Amino acid sequence: MSDDETAKADGGTASQSEAIEDGRDEEHPLEWDEPENNDKAPDERDSVSHRAEKYDDRKLVTGQAKYTADYEERYPNLAYAAVVRSEIPHGRVTDIDTSAAEAMDGVDAVLTPESDAVPNTKYTSAGQSYPEPSPWDMQVLNEHVRYIGDPIAAVAAEDRATATDAVEAIKVSYEEYDYVTDPEAAFDEDAPQLFEGGEVENEIVGHDYDRNRMSHIGGELGDVDSALGGEAHVHESEWETIRQSHANVEKHTSLAYTNEDDRHVLITSTQVPNHTRRQLAHLFDIPIRDIRVQKPRVGGGFGGKQAMVVEPIPLALSLATDRPVLYEASREEEFYAMRSRHPMTVKAKTAVTDDGDIEAIDLYALSNTGAYGSHGMTVAGNVGSKPMPLYSKVPNARFEADIVHTNTPQTGAMRGYGAPQGTLALEGHLDEVARDLGLDPIEFRRRHHMEVGDLDEIAGMMGGEGANRRIRSCGLDECIERGKAAIGYDDLEQPEEDHLHRGIGMALSAQGTGVAGDELGAAQIMMNEDGSFHLQVGGVDIGTGADTAFLQIAAEVLGCDESDIVVKSSDTDVTPFDYGAYASSTTYISGMAVKKAAEDAKARILDWGSKLLEEPVEELETGDGTVYSEASGKSVTLEDIGYEAAYGDDEREHILGKGTHCTEESPPPFAAQFADVTVDETTGEFDVHKLVVAVDCGVAINPGMAEGQIEGANHMSYEMAVSDGITLDDEGRAEVTDFDEYGLPSATETPPIESILVETHEPTGPFGAKSVAEVPTNTVPPALSNAVRDAVGVRIREMPITAEKIESKLDEREA
Amino acid sequence: MEIELELNGVERTVEASKSDSLLDVLRRNGYTGAKRGCDTGACGFCTVRVDGEPVKSCVKPVTTVQGAAVETIEGLGTQDDLHPVQQAFVDNTALQCGFCIPGMIMRSTALLEENPAPTEQEVREALSDNLCRCTGYKKIVAAVLDAAEQMDDGTAVATDGGPTLNSDSGTTAEIECLRTDCGCMEGDQ
Repeated sequence: MSDDETAKADGGTASQSEAIEDGRDEEHPLEWDEPENNDKAPDERDSVSHRAEKYDDRKLVTGQAKYTADYEERYPNLAYAAVVRSEIPHGRVTDIDTSAAEAMDGVDAVLTPESDAVPNTKYTSAGQSYPEPSPWDMQVLNEHVRYIGDPIAAVAAEDRATATDAVEAIKVSYEEYDYVTDPEAAFDEDAPQLFEGGEVENEIVGHDYDRNRMSHIGGELGDVDSALGGEAHVHESEWETIRQSHANVEKHTSLAYTNEDDRHVLITSTQVPNHTRRQLAHLFDIPIRDIRVQKPRVGGGFGGKQAMVVEPIPLALSLATDRPVLYEASREEEFYAMRSRHPMTVKAKTAVTDDGDIEAIDLYALSNTGAYGSHGMTVAGNVGSKPMPLYSKVPNARFEADIVHTNTPQTGAMRGYGAPQGTLALEGHLDEVARDLGLDPIEFRRRHHMEVGDLDEIAGMMGGEGANRRIRSCGLDECIERGKAAIGYDDLEQPEEDHLHRGIGMALSAQGTGVAGDELGAAQIMMNEDGSFHLQVGGVDIGTGADTAFLQIAAEVLGCDESDIVVKSSDTDVTPFDYGAYASSTTYISGMAVKKAAEDAKARILDWGSKLLEEPVEELETGDGTVYSEASGKSVTLEDIGYEAAYGDDEREHILGKGTHCTEESPPPFAAQFADVTVDETTGEFDVHKLVVAVDCGVAINPGMAEGQIEGANHMSYEMAVSDGITLDDEGRAEVTDFDEYGLPSATETPPIESILVETHEPTGPFGAKSVAEVPTNTVPPALSNAVRDAVGVRIREMPITAEKIESKLDEREA
Repeated sequence: MEIELELNGVERTVEASKSDSLLDVLRRNGYTGAKRGCDTGACGFCTVRVDGEPVKSCVKPVTTVQGAAVETIEGLGTQDDLHPVQQAFVDNTALQCGFCIPGMIMRSTALLEENPAPTEQEVREALSDNLCRCTGYKKIVAAVLDAAEQMDDGTAVATDGGPTLNSDSGTTAEIECLRTDCGCMEGDQ
């Protein structure tokens, strides 16, 4: 890496500050040069805004859809991988005795850190843009182990059982080191140190490995200390979040082989095919062109697969054995050796006048990144840069974070990406301030929240993943009003029993739509002679319905039925480049690339239509599978155009459209969350009657799928409020080994969730769309904490909210 | 050893080892609709029906299905002719990633045979052993209630009150491709 690139690995902090100083934020005018065809009234939309059948649904409900492990049968020579993982929290491997395993029938290869096929290159598993804003602190197999779960050796065998037996037969000897599992203790200068100076490549801004600090980041607008030292009341509170598991239903699974053209193919369950290809090229020193990453159906990602978590293992084993190798993590490995949400402590401080004017907001996060630093700095940045901009009327704002290593399992990207941790702290804190001041918590927020026309400098104050944004769509007021009505905010009935108390809590949230200034999506559309189309797009459908949204966007432009388009996505050999499915970017970035590709193809179609109809192009439009002229009433089918273009007498053309999209914009979607709870003051037991969440996602391309995203996100958010997550023992060993021990709420444990779509029009998005899938992940913990506070007057700041904690707080109050 | 069973209405003999689970054998024989989620019976993604009962096939020793009637998602409806429960899942946008869905659907068909008009709470209870990470269950529950209503209209109710099951739909998974990079997988996506 050059020095320039290293500097950018801080996420662009320096360049962003310069942008603010030299006034380039005037480059964010409210007016947006929006193409006329992008803003369609509801009755003008043909495909967009319709509940189109999800493209892959029929395959999914009949069991015909293929996920990575389902390709097993295609490879009769397939070998199965299993991994030896560290059983100690910290130490050095002194010996790996593989003799018994190697002597077993059916064992093809045993790899250790010393093996030729195993790269010893440093890397990060984080699937992010380049230069990577995560430190290169990992190795595929490790001699220095830093948590219970660190990979040490890998086996390929004829079948799963033999691979597992071989792993058990491998004896590892260690020199054990002191370890530390608590992030505050890890920050102490005398704490055991996970990394030596100079050991980590691509170090991140603010690192101090002597204190186990992977990164320190911060930013400020105005003068927070002056505001905090002024006349306004200073309020402080501290909040804690759980180590949440993605609990992807499909485990991390990857199949690697080398094909007849000596190229290396990975069929893999990933959110980031192109990043994975680049990372594998870096690790294995193989040219990018010789690696092909194919994403089949994926059983959920939620950020857990925004990373190259397992792919190097089957690739190394495949290179060593010259066989196709499948690695399917076990469910136990999912909980202790894959990734989780960063557990954090977040401190909130505000200066608020007697009249309820917020003069300053100050947030500080201590993030436990575990043994390695993937996504550590960028997730922590979003603790501030997502929730704080909601209060764009506040003149002074500051955010700082320390990201600290401990000898605990690895963390990574997870839906919400720091915003849930920050939203709990800020929305819980503001609720408490409002109650202290005797103000209605909703009205208190309304006086300060973002609206159309605001220049959001808070998101930009730290640089990195944020940037100054002009707000061009904001449905917050309508979200609040409709949410209030749906939850029955103004006519809450108290239970008859004296010991039961009912309360409502609310919380607001904002997210982004893609990483501002750091996204790229591309698409290509080819027309067939029968008037049908092939859409090739890099965008990644991990079960979200993205392929369907792409079809709806393309069909809206081309004037055909969605079923006339065949979509092929996420195969790095045949689909155009894409950053991948993360940061709520897919519909907005990849979807806009699809729209541009469709428009490019449409221009050629209209040209051919003009020739065939003998009408000027300006008079023509596409619709119902035809090109037609409203003026003359003449029309020609897309099929006639397709045949004429392919087989015409004097002139021929393959009608192709190309689109590529990147932008500096990242418009926030908004959510207003409400929770209705009854608490038993004698026991602390509580019953959540209903969750309501109203979301402004701009124009929903497919309202049914958008509702599904909201409901699923709220379910995941509810889990963050009431479940323990992955608990660890004193050595940092995950105590959760299976779903039975993990608090994923079942159908009977999930409260009724009502999702409300509030339509606004975001001029920078395809047909007015912005993101939807992350923002409702942020809001249940603060809304439920606020609801309990409303019901019985006690405040739970440490997640999860439990009956024991409520009872204990009630007892404290009695005393 | 050999296991004789009725698989989606067809008499079959399959090779198995004593330690195999029913899921192992199903997947090895191309019935990959049942998914491997945990291997401990904790998630429900592998749910199939054995003699009509919903069963987590990952913890069902294959030796115990000797002579039994096993129904998998592959035997329910086809893409062109969906079973009413499958149709209701599609119509209600009830699935996202779809990995838990074959198990959910098999569980739901068993519920609706036993209780053709369940309440929402009864549906939730019946599905409580089948986890889903994507949906929050709302649209899944709505789909099962919708299916109950559709089936009550008589569109697909057999004389015994249960839904009619199609015979084995002949899964394409049985066609083996020996080439490693012929690109045929594209068609399956």
